[in-house]
Formats: sequence, structure tokens, C-alpha cells
Amino acid sequence: MKKIGVIGGGTMGQGVAEMLSVKGLDVFLVERTPEQLDLSYEQIEINLDKQLEKWAITVAEKKLILSRIHKTLEYNQLSQCDMIIETITEDLELKKEVFNKLDDYCPKHIILASNTSTLSLTELANETNHPERVIGMHFLHPVSKVDLVEIIRGLKTSEETFEHTKHFVEDMITKKGIMVYESPGFVTTRLICVLINEALHTLQEGVASAEEIDVAMRNGYDFKHGPLEMCDRFGLDAVLAAMERMFREFGDIKYRPSFLLKKMVRAGHLGVKSGEGFFRYDKDGDRL
Amino acid sequence: MKILVINAGSSSLKYQLYEMNDESVLATGRVERIGFESSILSHQSTGKQEVKEVSEILDHTVAIRKVLDILTHPEHGILTSIEEIDAVGHRAVHGGETFAESALVTTEVLKEIRELIDLAPLHNPASLMGIQAVSSNIPNVPQSVVFDTAFHQSMPEKAYLYPIPKILYRRHKIRRYGFHGTSHFYVSHKAAEYLEQPIEELKIVTCHIGNGASCTAIQGGKSIDTSMGMTPLEGMMMGTRSGDMDPAIVPFTMAKEDLTINEVTSMLNKHSGLLAISGISSDMREIEEAMEDGDANAKLAFDMYEYRIRKYIGSYTAAMNGIDVLIFTAGVGENASGLRKKICEQLSYLGIELNEEVNNIRSSEIREISAKNSKVKVLVVPTNEELVIARDTHKLILANN
Repeated sequence: MKKIGVIGGGTMGQGVAEMLSVKGLDVFLVERTPEQLDLSYEQIEINLDKQLEKWAITVAEKKLILSRIHKTLEYNQLSQCDMIIETITEDLELKKEVFNKLDDYCPKHIILASNTSTLSLTELANETNHPERVIGMHFLHPVSKVDLVEIIRGLKTSEETFEHTKHFVEDMITKKGIMVYESPGFVTTRLICVLINEALHTLQEGVASAEEIDVAMRNGYDFKHGPLEMCDRFGLDAVLAAMERMFREFGDIKYRPSFLLKKMVRAGHLGVKSGEGFFRYDKDGDRL
Repeated sequence: MKILVINAGSSSLKYQLYEMNDESVLATGRVERIGFESSILSHQSTGKQEVKEVSEILDHTVAIRKVLDILTHPEHGILTSIEEIDAVGHRAVHGGETFAESALVTTEVLKEIRELIDLAPLHNPASLMGIQAVSSNIPNVPQSVVFDTAFHQSMPEKAYLYPIPKILYRRHKIRRYGFHGTSHFYVSHKAAEYLEQPIEELKIVTCHIGNGASCTAIQGGKSIDTSMGMTPLEGMMMGTRSGDMDPAIVPFTMAKEDLTINEVTSMLNKHSGLLAISGISSDMREIEEAMEDGDANAKLAFDMYEYRIRKYIGSYTAAMNGIDVLIFTAGVGENASGLRKKICEQLSYLGIELNEEVNNIRSSEIREISAKNSKVKVLVVPTNEELVIARDTHKLILANN
């Protein structure tokens, strides 16, 4: 595999595109408008500059990484790719539309992967004429640093598609791949969202302050960020959406989103992206 | 006998073709940007024009095929058929404790090199790709590999062990290996030959100063200590590498700057050394130019660089209880006369005296730059690692027949 298409240039799309390019692969980054495409490319450049500041890469490496990321608005460019990774917003209808389109433009040997964290692969696959080539590849943010990919098998995903994807994850982009079967939230989102939700209940009940809840988990259990800061970093709206989806799918009360979460989302306190959530952040996303 | 010497990197490949009867170079060249659509092959057969070719070279196998094609090209080439190549010699960076000498490529040797990938994750895979690429293009040609670490395998335990829990050595082979061995070996023997003295009787300090830099104490023709360690990061200050420093700085910086292992590794390997101190460049020529223009940071970088080289020369003189010959080699060592002068000026306590006039002469020949009555001979010896690889390969083939 040499060329990979990435649909969607949001936070995850930027991270995936950059990581693929760092690994020496050519990336075709697709967005809906030229403005969004430029914005997303600029953001990748900003991310690389941050890494440059942290000595992770050199100026020459930055240039090389950017030179392998090709901007495009046209799906027909994707027919030359070996794999497509869709990373658009977590919305089933929008994703269905993308897969429908991909199915038209990509010959059937091209693997179509979705970076979904909670949606049904089988449902997405059913939008296409070749559901056997559809698979899930759930990356975690920040993509370049997190050594994990959940490889999700839909009901109709073929053994061949799975084996190719596993080889891609473990040997080409050298990340740890775990195999999961389709289920809302898979492993990572399900476990972490429940923890965050429980932290919110703990906060709401006045058991401890936000700061101390986070210290407890950081110092006590060696978390890099506490659950509330994690929630800020994921985006409160994203956590709420994931909880609501799991609540709906499982129908189990333990997935019911905390009322505090709903209230904060309504108030526009979305975490790092709005500068304020449970804690406050500067525009670089550093805690104030 | 014609021998092709190959030095394969992860995305580049350098080669030279030798006629071993008189050790003449028949052709030389390089392939750059392997894995890209616009790879560049530059080739020059001796006595002919240099040619450049841009094409898609996606892997090392294709790269080797291109090299063989151009070597047999009616106009630009020098061979009529690839059958004329009698053997191929490869450079490998890490031979671990397994290889104290060059070796003919066998399945066991390949397996050993593969097992050493842990110690040289960036370099050994490239050497393996080079060997496999030759096998698939010229299936029956004998191949050999020459290791950067082999010459230093003669270091005694007291020089190669780190004073840390010994279980780390037993479990992970954490010890000092040293690098540039082929170069240190070549220039020390060449110097002894030039001085017409048996190398067994000489105490030599060799300074291989290029982009990477290392210093070796050679007593009786054997490496007894060298400045690079388990990886090429230890030792002298380099273009972009820190060289020696307090190891406690690593965890301290990681905590203070919130750095990952990758970030701190990249900082010490690619963002340190001359580049970090000068803020200008990792290239000694640019540092010297900036220094002439009065740049204080460039001067500081130069001074630190020189000081750290000089300390190594002093400590290796102590290690051998004396020094007869001091050698400079590689890009900076062969060309930076100002640096050599600065180093030698402050080694007068050893009886080193420079002949400034000779020191200033640029040349690609071996030359003595010390004054007549200098107690220590100071030489500039242009290194030639490819020739050592060709010679070793030649020797191995003859012994095998």
C-alpha cells in the first residue's frame, strides 16, 4: 500500500493524514470546499510547527511530510488509492452518503475504512455494493502519539479485508491493533465514556471538586489526564453524543448521560475547543 | 576480480565498482529518494560524463536493477554484462557482539543481522534490503557484509561496559559498541604504512569528524576505546547530535517540557550539537563563515566543538599512556584546517607542533601536517571505507575458494 485517501479534514482527519505521511505514505485529503481543504491543510502545518518546537521533527522532515499530503475536492482522484479512511463527523446519515459515493468511485479491491467510534459498520457497509470491503479503523486523538487502533469487523467484512487492514495497522503504520466486533462504542469509547460520566455524577453529587477528581485518577491510577480534563479534550458535545448513542442502543441506565453534561453543552462550554469546560484552556489547548 | 560495493540507507543507496587487480574505481554513483515517483540515479563511469536519471524507483530491488542497467549501458556503462561482477560487498552499521570481522552472506549471517535490528532499528533493515535486492537481481553472486562496529570488538571489558546494573548487559546487550570502525581501521593502517612504522608499535588517536564524529584510541593496531557507545549519540559534539552529557538531563527534560521518548530522542539526535549552539547550521563550513563575520554563537559552537574533541584526544592519550600519531579524517577532519590548528595549538603539552603551511594546503592525499621536530606525528588521512569493504570482500572470496 502506497496511497491512502482520507475523507474529512477535521481534527481526526488531520491527525490521520499527518501520521500516514510521516510513515512515508502518500495521502489524498478530501474536503467539501476549497476553503475547508485549505484550512485543514494549514492546521496540519500548525500541528507540525508545534512538533518542530518540541524537537520531534526537523524543518526538512516537516517539508517532506507536507509534500506527501495532496489536497483534493474530487472523489475520482481516489480510484488510484489502495485504501480510503473516512474521518468525517460522527453522523450516520452523512457517513452513509460518503460510503455511497465511495462505492461508486472506488474499484472493489480498495478497502473502505471508517474511523467511527460508535456507529454500526454493518449499517454503513449496507450502503455499498461490496460490503465485504468495508471495515472500521478507530484511531484515538492525538493520532501520532496514541499507539492503538481498534479494527472493527462488521457482519459482512471479509477475512481478506480484515487481514489486509491488520497488516496495514501493525506493519505499515506500526500501531498496536486490537480486533473488536461491532458493538456501540467498541472497547475504548464505551469504557472511557462511562468513566467520564461517572466522574460527572461524582462532581454533581459534591463528593469532590473537579480538580481533585482529576488528581485522584492521575496520581492514583497513573492516568495522563483525569476524566474531566479528558472530557474537555474530547469535547463535551462529543462525549454527550456518544453517551446518548450508547444509551439508545443498549437501553441500559448505566449509559444515561449525566445531567450536568447536558447543561454544560447547552451553555456552550464544550471544553478545549471553546476554551472552557471543567477547566480553562488557551488557544493552543494548554490548561490555564 | 570486479567487486561492487553497496552502502544502502533506508531511502538511498551509494555504490562503487572496483577492479581489484589494481584497486581502481571503475564507476561510482548513488540512488536517492527510493520509494518515490521521482527517484534520482546519478552515475559516473571512470573517464566518462556523469549522468543523471529521474524515474520511479519504488524499492531497493528496482534500485539495484537500475544500477546494474547503467553499469552495462552501452554508452554510460563500463561493463558488457553483469556476469562480470564477481562479488558484492555491503556496509552494515551494527554487527553487535556477533561480528568482529566481515562475513560472507549466508542464511545464518542474515538471521544474525536481523536479530540485531533491535540495536540499530534505522540502519540494519536498510542493509538487509540491499542484500536481498542484490540476491533477487544477481541470484548467484557471492556477497559479503562489513560492519561499522567490527573493528571496535577488540575493546576490553573495562572500556565497553557501562557502570550500570550488569543484568542490563546480559538481558539487552547494553554496552558500548562504537561506530565508524571501517574508517578508523583504514586511516590508522594507512598512516602506519605512510610513516613506514609497524602499526603494532604505535599509539594512535584517530578523529573521524564528519556529520557524525568519533574518536578512537588504537594501540598495537587494535581499537582499545572509542567515543561512540551503544548508539552513535555518545562521544564528541556533532553536527546535530549532543554527544556526551549528563544522562539525568533526559528524564529531567522529559518531565519539564512534557516530552515523549520520540521527542527527546529526536531532540538529542537532530536538534543538538553545532546546530543548537550556533542557531545557524550543523555544517562546519557555515559555522566558520559566520564566525568570520563576528557571530558570537557560531564562535561558541566552534569553541565547544573543538574543546570536546581536544578532551577526547587527551583522555585517549591517558588511556594509552602516550600518543605517537594523531589522525584527522572525514569531511570536517580532512578539510577544516582552522579546527585542526585550534586543536593542535593547545596540545603542545604532548609535544605536538603544527606545520601551519602544510596544514593549510587542501588536498585529497594523505599528508603529515606536524612540524619536523613535533614529538607526535599529526596526519590528515582521507578515509576510504568503500575500499576496505572491497578489500574485505575480495579476501573473503579468495579464502572461500
